Amino acid sequence: MRFKTPLVGITAGGLMLALAACGSTGGPAEDTKIDNEKAGAAGSGRDPDAKGPVEIKGAKEGGSINVISSTELQTMDPRNAYYASTIAIHGAFLSRTLTQYKYDEESDSMVLVPDLAKDLGTPNEDYTEWTFNLREGIKDENGDEVTASSIERTVEASMDVDTYGDFPGNYLIDFLVGGDQVKDGKAEPQGVDIDGVEATDDHTLVFKTTKPFADLPAYAYFPLFTPTPEGADPATYEDKIVSTGPYKVKEYVRSKKLVLERNPNWDAETDPARTAYPDEYVFDFMLDTNKVDARMLADKGSDQTTMTMDDINAENYPKFKSEAEDRIVTGSSPLTAYLAPDYTKVTDIQIRKAIGLAFPYQEFYRTAGYIEGLTANPANTIMPPGTPGYQTYDNPLGVEPGTTDPEAAKKLLEEAGAVGYELKFAWSKDDPDGIWPKLKDLYTDAFTKAGFKVTSVNVPDAKFSDFQRDPEADINVRSYHSMGWFSDWPSGGSWFPPLLTTVDWKSTGSYGSNRAKFSEPEVDKKVEEILAMPIEDQPKAWGELDQHVMETYYPWVVTYQGGSVQSHGSKIGGHKIDNTMGGPTYKQLHVLQ
Amino acid sequence: MSLSMARLEAETPEPGDVPVEKSAAIVGKSPTQIALGRLRKDKTAVVCIAVLVVVIALAVLAPVITSILDIHERREPGSLNAAEWTDQFGYPVTGPPYYGFDPNHPLGISPKEANDNLARLLYGVRNSLFIGAVVAFSALLIGTTIGLAAGFSRGWLDRILSFVIDLFLAFPFFFFAMALSPIIGNAFSQNDVGLAVASFIGLIIFLIIFSWMSLARLVRGQVISLREREFILAAEVIGVPMRRVLFKELLPNLVAPLVVWFSVAVPTAVALEVALTLLGLGVSGTPTLGLLVQEARGYWDTYPLYLWTPVGAVVVITLALNLLGDSVRDAFDPKTRR
Repeated sequence: MRFKTPLVGITAGGLMLALAACGSTGGPAEDTKIDNEKAGAAGSGRDPDAKGPVEIKGAKEGGSINVISSTELQTMDPRNAYYASTIAIHGAFLSRTLTQYKYDEESDSMVLVPDLAKDLGTPNEDYTEWTFNLREGIKDENGDEVTASSIERTVEASMDVDTYGDFPGNYLIDFLVGGDQVKDGKAEPQGVDIDGVEATDDHTLVFKTTKPFADLPAYAYFPLFTPTPEGADPATYEDKIVSTGPYKVKEYVRSKKLVLERNPNWDAETDPARTAYPDEYVFDFMLDTNKVDARMLADKGSDQTTMTMDDINAENYPKFKSEAEDRIVTGSSPLTAYLAPDYTKVTDIQIRKAIGLAFPYQEFYRTAGYIEGLTANPANTIMPPGTPGYQTYDNPLGVEPGTTDPEAAKKLLEEAGAVGYELKFAWSKDDPDGIWPKLKDLYTDAFTKAGFKVTSVNVPDAKFSDFQRDPEADINVRSYHSMGWFSDWPSGGSWFPPLLTTVDWKSTGSYGSNRAKFSEPEVDKKVEEILAMPIEDQPKAWGELDQHVMETYYPWVVTYQGGSVQSHGSKIGGHKIDNTMGGPTYKQLHVLQ
Repeated sequence: MSLSMARLEAETPEPGDVPVEKSAAIVGKSPTQIALGRLRKDKTAVVCIAVLVVVIALAVLAPVITSILDIHERREPGSLNAAEWTDQFGYPVTGPPYYGFDPNHPLGISPKEANDNLARLLYGVRNSLFIGAVVAFSALLIGTTIGLAAGFSRGWLDRILSFVIDLFLAFPFFFFAMALSPIIGNAFSQNDVGLAVASFIGLIIFLIIFSWMSLARLVRGQVISLREREFILAAEVIGVPMRRVLFKELLPNLVAPLVVWFSVAVPTAVALEVALTLLGLGVSGTPTLGLLVQEARGYWDTYPLYLWTPVGAVVVITLALNLLGDSVRDAFDPKTRR
């Protein structure tokens, strides 16, 4: 999954945050960090029998909640929604999907429950065919009944990469029977019937895959598993989507405002995941990030029923800690951020390891505005804590994670006979956050010190992601200051297949999500094998593959794993961290009265 | 001849004015000398000049001062390591805002990057003043030349030049800046040093391009009114070459408006640089006051000193220059004798 800004953090489940006592004399809070030892398995819990309605003790109906943010929604179109913050809002308010994640107070984690489906799907023996039986009598905001074919329509359309460039349907193309119809870009999937998804009757939806896809129910919470009306125009549908959730869109101005009002056709009895206590939600986007913090800190008037989906800025955190500690919510996140040396160009593992040793971790956290130990945890694993099967192992670099050692890096380069090796990365002078120019200086210094030759390529912000997505771009390290991967669902199946298996970028012109262009037949084979395993054996196998890949190939320089620090007004209840989305637990919110 | 005529112009008292400086006319002071004399008596002007002398000295001597105090600009040898000198939230581990005064870093250390604030401020002032001075001086040359040519030429040349002036005045300034920034960035995409230099020079050129028009118009208007005066006509009649008429007869009469314009143009350029940089269209890699303010604006609440020092510097410099400009105008303008 992708996320938009470095400050929108996300969270993994069940992470207990151990906040040590802060320095009492003048200085800011010290030793604040997340305790990974206590990380549970984020969202790995399942409750196929969950029933609606969901009730929260003491919560009352009424009131209006205002959500403010310095970011914006990626899209309102469920067929294209792929950014964590956008999916979270869809899932909680507007788009009922086959399955959904629900916050579980007891484990402080997310649990997978059925939503439009009656259960979590029925697989065949080898997980290549899934049958979902839909609830009957569920109506959208126009009163039309949700049918299997209306969901099939969304799923098929989302595979149209030309129209939906953010491409939440990427897994479908890899797995579904007939996915290859789209793969070469020849077939036009809009309106085309893909064999792998079939509505056998009004309330039965069958998925057929070419290889085992045990994780399908965990993926089926994506908005692309919601119904869309026939003939919804990709260009305009997002301005007024048809809701199936507890709220519907009253007003939507792109990049600015979203107002939600109650959807009278939503029936709490049929919904095991959501509550709908407030009468109204008002989202304000693209605000100044410091103003967001200032309003949350002040907690005045209507801001008492205001919350934010942004992380608290590092520089404002000590102030929150001293003035509004009870209104801070923290959690860790299924995010691993990394530099991706181009595996086809930086072919020597010694050089890749030298990059890892030379990377200025501590200075990077500060410059990019992360709080070490809270929103950025030094790490060396591919899968973040909270992913089922996550296990720690010694850093292949031979130092503690997050340690910069230019001397050791230089030694590796000398051994490899590659002193003066040219690192070429892209940066952006007009980065709206103003962070890239500083990072560029930082990287240049740090890598030069370790014996690299550094060339930085200035790319205007508007073209920056396109440039990095071009597999032929003339750089050999890919990096955003927020570049990382946010698991689409809590499983190694959301890490290795999309990120570290061979992609035919030469003929397709795209490396997909495999930014390192990593390709090892041996790893490809192992991934196939794990996907074919029984679901209960997979976590351990992913964990072992994690260690194997990092120790044998060191394809990524892991820079940190994520965490989330958010705040809410004093009259908001239910704001926790959703450990699959890293955002607020929207489904639980209510106004304290 | 022309000079004495000019003096006559300047010295002719308005009806009702008290001829206070009769004695000066007898000793034969030039209008400039008279104006300087008035400036010396103007307390505001003296204070402003004193402030500016100090600021300029600090700016010019920035490398010396920083090496004496052993403080360093970002990424210079000897600069502080952010990982050691800031905590996990990016706040400095010495000096403000959380700890007492640190004599090694009189204005503290910047958050997140651990730059010495004083060193950066000195270089920022230096670069901003440099931008202001270069821009104002270049625009002065261009504006005066075009204004003189337009005003004196009559006919088609005047019409063309006036059209060019109008064209530049009508050009949308900020849109041009927004378009220019990525163009420069692209041209130097793989050359860091080149980019820093190019964006710095680019900003200067950009500010020059959009600041000469008002002066050109002013000069043109002045020249049109002057060229019909008797002393110009007389010079033409006795066959004084045009170049001499322009530079010896006309230009000295324009000194007052030029000086006034210049004294306002410098702070305008300094302030424009701040505005452009705040919009993200300014320099990259070179500290200027605009960049310092931009970097610090998130800290108005949590680390006020970090923000208020560059803001204060902008205020002091622009205020001193503007007040000085006012005083200069008063001193040169015969109609505002006090």
